[in-house]
Amino acid sequence: MIFMIAEPAFATQAHSAPEGLYAHQLAHIFFIISMGVLIYWLRARQLVRSAGWRYIQYAALFFILWNLDAFTVHLLEEQLAVIDIQRINLWQIKITANNHSNALLWLYYFAKFDHLLCVPALLFLYFGLRRLMKKAQTSTPGLVSS
Amino acid sequence: MIISFLPIWIVDMTGSILMIVFSFLCLSLVRRLRNRDQGNVIWTYLFWVCLGLAAFAISRSAGHIVKQILVLSGHEAVWSIIRPYSGAINSLMFVFVASVTLFFERIWKIYRQISKDKQALQTISDELRFLNQNLENLVAERTQELALSEHKYRRIFEVSRDMILVTQPDGTIINLNPAGCKLLGYKEPVSSFSDNSFADFFVKASDWHRIRKTIEQQSFISNAEVSLEDTDGKQIRVLVSGSLDKGFSDRDATIHFLVKDIEQRRIVEEQIAQADKLASIGQLSAGIAHEINNPLGIILGYTQLLIRNEKSNSEKFDDLKTIEKHVRNCKSIVEDLLNFARSSKPNEDVIRLDEAMEDVLSFIQQHAGLDNISVKKNYDSAVPEMRLDEKKIKQVFMNLIMNAKHAIGKEGNLAISTGYNPDEGNVVVKISDTGHGIEKKDMARIFDPFFTTKPTGEGTGLGLSVSYGIIKNHGGDILVESEAGKGSTFTIVLPLVSPHSRLAHAKIHSYN
Repeated sequence: MIFMIAEPAFATQAHSAPEGLYAHQLAHIFFIISMGVLIYWLRARQLVRSAGWRYIQYAALFFILWNLDAFTVHLLEEQLAVIDIQRINLWQIKITANNHSNALLWLYYFAKFDHLLCVPALLFLYFGLRRLMKKAQTSTPGLVSS
Repeated sequence: MIISFLPIWIVDMTGSILMIVFSFLCLSLVRRLRNRDQGNVIWTYLFWVCLGLAAFAISRSAGHIVKQILVLSGHEAVWSIIRPYSGAINSLMFVFVASVTLFFERIWKIYRQISKDKQALQTISDELRFLNQNLENLVAERTQELALSEHKYRRIFEVSRDMILVTQPDGTIINLNPAGCKLLGYKEPVSSFSDNSFADFFVKASDWHRIRKTIEQQSFISNAEVSLEDTDGKQIRVLVSGSLDKGFSDRDATIHFLVKDIEQRRIVEEQIAQADKLASIGQLSAGIAHEINNPLGIILGYTQLLIRNEKSNSEKFDDLKTIEKHVRNCKSIVEDLLNFARSSKPNEDVIRLDEAMEDVLSFIQQHAGLDNISVKKNYDSAVPEMRLDEKKIKQVFMNLIMNAKHAIGKEGNLAISTGYNPDEGNVVVKISDTGHGIEKKDMARIFDPFFTTKPTGEGTGLGLSVSYGIIKNHGGDILVESEAGKGSTFTIVLPLVSPHSRLAHAKIHSYN
């Protein structure tokens, strides 16, 4: 009965559309921070003297760059909405900057090639792991090259 | 700006495919690493990072590929429905990978700790394995080392010329080396000292208490000079050093003593001091005697001149005779002092000691009498003829026998013996009596001039000092052993010089 007679109290907060974008952007920032922390510890522990960990450090660096790139694209296109994209036909698009800045247009255009950053990041990670693997095969089990 | 979409499309599609490929290659590599060494937390950590990245690559790349296909095929509306899900999953994957990555430092610390522990365990394991495999050899080696060490220290203990003693803190003897057994008068090395205490051997109990107290306070004592009494009651002066070994517990505490016999050294030191003293007195006596001798000669000469001019029955004649008698006594004393001081060179007479001794005994028998004294003579026939000052040697024998007679008193024994030591090249004459002996306090003074224990007027106190001077003048030595109430033994040691060689030498000179 008590639940039936209750008036709307707005006890549960509603989530509108921008929250997803903000969560996504914060996730990018979190990713950047964690990669930065990883680089810091790799250097602080002097692990980067070993080739394997040095490559993993490069991977982390490229992930940071990729996150910055992706963050910028989301910021320009969705968060600030300073860039407008329209598909002219199947293989052509029209990019418009609200402030008519050409530099902003080109920045956005090149930022769209984010795979040029995240693929090398994974490539470096792969190389790093391969080096660690090679080293592990020549050393006692339980030891990690450092 | 209108621009071709193709480059973006190609990079997007190719990149998406490559991301999936590389992320799975990474996952595959790290899985192999983890399978190779499953206990390694670093590989587990990297596995979870790669797993997150692979999930992220799939969600993102699949999203991109689906988007491109749907857009190109004109189904943008469908993409609009999928897009939020794709974005949300991407966000979750970011957070997952980033979260796992943040644990790197903690994982590394755990890994280092595990590695360290593993290393320690491995070392212990290796040592245990080594010990297990070589235990028998190690035990044999160690036993041999111990046996060698024990043998080495046992030899030091056994062959030491000084006494080594181990006692309990209260002095109860635990172990005593052979030198110690000998020093303390045990006839043969003793292995069991049931309830024997080192304290029992101290002449003065206070010495033992002092040593014990010092060891208790300082844990050691160095070179404490004390007197011990052996099982036969003989006193020995020793230097005692000791240190406390506390052992593993109070019950195991022991004291290790090193005892050095210094009796002989002290005797020699005393003899040297005695000889030095007598030499000094001798020098002094010689100086005085020389100075007095000449005036005495003049007094005697003039007295004799005056006597010649006096009638023999006159009072003055008697007075002059008294002066002459006392001057002669004085000259006799001065002569004795000069003999003691060894200032005159002895004559070189070839004599036999036993004959000289017989002459002296015969003279004493006639003039002083030896009726109640049993004289035992033991002459060594091997004693050769010797080149000595016969008159002076007889004087020495006379002094010693008269002293013995005086010491014996009414009844007793007198033993006279001679002996020849060809190895040492000397002849020994011993004169022993069963008289009253010499008090210990007088021993150091008996050769001093004018020292006598006889009543006033019965002795000048020059007999032994003159004898000492004569024997020393012959290059010999005179020793005394005495015990109050039991008797004395005087030992004369004379170096043997072949008389024939000297005589031959003299003949050669005379022929020349």
